Amino acid sequence: MSHPVSITCTGLTIRFPVYGVDAKSLKKSLARTLSVGGKLGRHFGSTDVTALQDLNLQLKAGDRLGLIGHNGSGKTTLLRALSGAYEPDEGSIDVYGRIAALLDLGLGIDLSATGYDNIRLRGRIAGLSAKEIEARLPEIAEFTGLGAFLAMPVKTYSAGMQARLAFATATAVECDVLLMDEWIAVGDAEFQKLAHKRLLSLVERAGILVLATHDVDLLRLYCNKVMRLEGGVASEVTDIRRLDELLAA
Amino acid sequence: MAQAAHMLRTGQRGGLFQLQMAFRDLKGSGQRLGLAWSLAWHDIVSRYRGSILGPFWITLSMGLMVLGIGFLYANLFKIPLNEFLPFVALGIVFFGVMTGVINEGCDTFVQAKGMLSQTSLPMFTFVWRTVLRNLISLAHHLVIVLAVLTVYGYWARADVPQALVGLVLMIVNVSWASMLAGIASARFRDIPQIVVSVMQFAIFMTPVFWTPDRFSGQHMAILHANPFYHLLDAVRAPLLGQAVAPHSYLVLVLMALGGWTLTFALFARTRRRIVHYL
Repeated sequence: MSHPVSITCTGLTIRFPVYGVDAKSLKKSLARTLSVGGKLGRHFGSTDVTALQDLNLQLKAGDRLGLIGHNGSGKTTLLRALSGAYEPDEGSIDVYGRIAALLDLGLGIDLSATGYDNIRLRGRIAGLSAKEIEARLPEIAEFTGLGAFLAMPVKTYSAGMQARLAFATATAVECDVLLMDEWIAVGDAEFQKLAHKRLLSLVERAGILVLATHDVDLLRLYCNKVMRLEGGVASEVTDIRRLDELLAA
Repeated sequence: MAQAAHMLRTGQRGGLFQLQMAFRDLKGSGQRLGLAWSLAWHDIVSRYRGSILGPFWITLSMGLMVLGIGFLYANLFKIPLNEFLPFVALGIVFFGVMTGVINEGCDTFVQAKGMLSQTSLPMFTFVWRTVLRNLISLAHHLVIVLAVLTVYGYWARADVPQALVGLVLMIVNVSWASMLAGIASARFRDIPQIVVSVMQFAIFMTPVFWTPDRFSGQHMAILHANPFYHLLDAVRAPLLGQAVAPHSYLVLVLMALGGWTLTFALFARTRRRIVHYL
């Protein structure tokens, strides 16, 4: 039952219940329920924020979509929804293909464990079997360029070295759908070049890329389509050549 | 690229659909039990990194507690040491499993925040992680059990298969309690405090440091109303060569069914919200 790689979102709406610090306390919540008088909202102690509203999106293999929009416009929410972490409140998300989300480089990084152990753990989280990881370990190790440091605890690494490790492990996964939040510029200039090459090959292998970024140059470099989000409302998916119109709008 | 995975996420479609999705989560976690095991193993390794004895530190302190309480109470209560010490040892070790699984259950989802907010990993995976982590700890503490049973010559009497049945029933039951605590703690941050207090209270109200035969008549009712008594007895009694009351098994099975139904229903209801609680 092989199905071509695709992403389909129909009428996707995601609301966040925002639980205040207060609402997390059981006492306050009970007190609210028990208190007489004024009418309580349906979600007492929480407010709903609509992060995405009625979003429609259709992507097929070869599409490399750039997401633009101000902070808080819903880019990351959309990525998290596509990764399967956030459930829609209305509408649906239908994704065919193995998903890899590179949203947080620090995912599964344990500072007191060695570099090798971190690669293994991260690989396991990404869905690789222990065997597959061992097979891939030399390649990942070489890419990090950390050499003997990989046998040392990550806490002894500099920030740049940690970024190298995280990037190398996070991008070692085979996937059909790649979701990325802007963090591409890691490490020193030399590593950035390597990282760039790796990302390009990953994008080529991956059927679909969805990248959220503020960097227009990056958009032009990696994407062929672009969508603008504003207050959770999405624009049409447009060709990258019409990026300027979209930005001006 | 032959086997393309498929992910479908939709908006609310009523209770039955939620239940179906919850079952799918459970099934998914079954397929990824290896991941839960890796995470649990990693937890143990990283918790005790740099320590020479590792998890055996807890074993050591448990062992000291067993010896101290064993000798002291055996004298106070005038019970022969060869009866009381094994009793206390098994009680402390197996009650420790229950405390561990339930108390650490409070952290199950909170701790997994990073992973839950950017992957579609089944949520049950993290419940199994907590359970497996405590089973790994138990494997270390079994040293105490083995030592005591050997020293006081209980092997001839001990019914190991029956104790294993009891252990399975215990794990099945504390697992739902652990998950329930996990969901509740994610939403209300007071829950862990409450859970810790309840478990501490429970260890004193359950025959761990004292023997149940000190109870008489009407007080037995209180003992039998304590679920932890049945949980513990199902594992401990067979190892001591004693009989488990048949109604204990009934209690355990009913509790497992009722508890899992409740927990699963709550999970089905809150599943899509848990990630937002964190």
